[in-house]
Order: sequence, then structure tokens, then C-alpha cells
Amino acid sequence: MSKNQVSRRQFLSYTLTGVGGFMAAGMLMPMVRFAIDPVLKANATGDFIPTKQKIADLTNEPVRVDYTFTQVDAWYESEVTSSAWVYKDDSGNVIALSPVCKHLGCTVDWNTDKANQNHFFCPCHYGLYTKDGSNVPGTPPLAPLDVFPFIEKDGFLYLGKAKPRKEA
Amino acid sequence: MKWIQEDMEMFVKAREYLDTVVIPLYPISFGEDVKQTANMTEFINLLTTQLERQFKGRLILLPGFTYFKKQDSDKLVNDLLQWENTLISEDFKHVFYVTSDSDWKLKEQELTGSLIWLPALPLELLDGKSRNTMIDDQVKQLLNLFVKRWHNEL
Repeated sequence: MSKNQVSRRQFLSYTLTGVGGFMAAGMLMPMVRFAIDPVLKANATGDFIPTKQKIADLTNEPVRVDYTFTQVDAWYESEVTSSAWVYKDDSGNVIALSPVCKHLGCTVDWNTDKANQNHFFCPCHYGLYTKDGSNVPGTPPLAPLDVFPFIEKDGFLYLGKAKPRKEA
Repeated sequence: MKWIQEDMEMFVKAREYLDTVVIPLYPISFGEDVKQTANMTEFINLLTTQLERQFKGRLILLPGFTYFKKQDSDKLVNDLLQWENTLISEDFKHVFYVTSDSDWKLKEQELTGSLIWLPALPLELLDGKSRNTMIDDQVKQLLNLFVKRWHNEL
């Protein structure tokens, strides 16, 4: 007992360091949490919107998959239903294309133009896209259809935010 | 395109591609048919919004022609004809009116543009999901009408 004597000075400095440490941590923790908050959010599935489409049910024929999300216009919130064209390509990869025409934003349809079978067709100005979403030269659109990133969760398809492609 | 600044910026750049105007006709009444007219307005508003989404690049959806049911119908037709003339002088080729108010059906011949009359769905009885599907279905049928009209011009 006599060997491990703690002096009054030592005792006080230990206690002060301890209490000071707690106080510093109490101040810094919320700040750090604020700073890294965006990173934590992105890690959650939040950005992917669930659909009713089962991945196993997809064929190589594009189907319309609807999804609903909440859109906020200033103070006005509304439920908006949007859709995607989804199919499996020859090697079995899932492809999800945006139905928004790259010309002026109409909604394109699959296989509705009799003269051009198996194309995506825009009824507004007769824009055409091949099945993989590439625009057919000579028609108004100047870029391929946007592509949705997606994830599979419990067998269902979850769609992210459509992204433009680089190659024409 | 909607009558909002963002869309009109695009319109100025791509004017030659937009040759169609859609004018919803919204009745207002505070008499016995107050609920009916409100429902008509709500229904046509939802329907035309969805229609605009499909044909964003070819038509402009105007904010709507709003009138009181009590107003003299001949005067309303005259007002609408003035709208029409203004639009034609702005180089629009097609004018569509969309309404649930059947009174317009009687005046259809006097208008140059095409009148689309659809009976309003009882929106209060529908929940969000089935409402959307029903409106989607109705819009799908309208799409053909528009596409045919555009084709005839060629």
C-alpha cells in the first residue's frame, strides 16, 4: 500500500484530465456526427425505391415497372408514379431504362410503332431507340436513354436515380 | 410542358417542336352542384397533369380556363374562341380542350379546336392507388386520340 501512494497533486491532475476529457468528448461528438452525417445517410438503402417487380420474373421482353415516390414542390408534397422499362439481356443481366425521351422529355413506349418492331418509340416526334436504349441516328433524340442503377432485395427490384450514359 | 418558367426556357429553344396546346376547362359553382364542379375540376386537373407527362415534348398544358357555371355560355364560347385565335396566331396547330362539364358538348361545333369530354370519376370513393391506375387508363386512351390527330396532319 505504501508503495502505490497517490499524492494529492497527482490525484487532482488525474481527476481534472478525466473530467476535461469527458467535457471535450461531449462537445466534439455531436460536431463529428454532424460532419459525417451525409456519409452515413448515403450508406443506407434510402436512395433506392422499391418496386413490385420480382427479378426472377423478368424476361428478355421489356416490361413497364411502376414505382412511386414523394415529390416535393416547395411546400406541396405529392405522390408521383414513374416507370422504367426493365428486361434481361442475352447474358441475363438486368437492364432498367428510363422512359423519358432524350429529345424533349415525352414518355417512350416499347414496340408501339408498327414500322419499327422491337424499338422504343417516342410518339411526339417519332424518336426511336434500339432495345439497349441507343438512339437511332436520323431521329430527333441525340442521346441514348438514361439507365437506372438498381439493387436486388428479397428478390424484388429496387431502382435508384436514372443516370445519363456517355457513349452515343 | 407546363406553364412554368423552367419548361418555358426549354420551349423557347425548341419552339418548332411544340405545336399543340391543351386547355383544361374548369367549372366553378357554389350552388347545388358545388361538389360536382369541384370534383370535375379535380379530376381534369389530375388527368391533364398525367397527359402532360406523357407528351411533354409536344404539347403545352395551359393553367386552364376557369369559369362560373352561371356565366352566359355564348359569352364563354366567344372568350374561348379568342383564346383559340391568339394561339393560332402564335403558330400552334392543334388546340385541345379537356373537360368533364357536359355543357361544352353542346357548343362543340362552334369551337375550332377538339373538345374532349370525359365523365369525372368519383374521386372521393377511390384510394390513391386505384385512383392513379384509373386515371392512367383513361390517359392511355387519350394518347391514341392525340397521336391520330398528329398523324392526320402529315
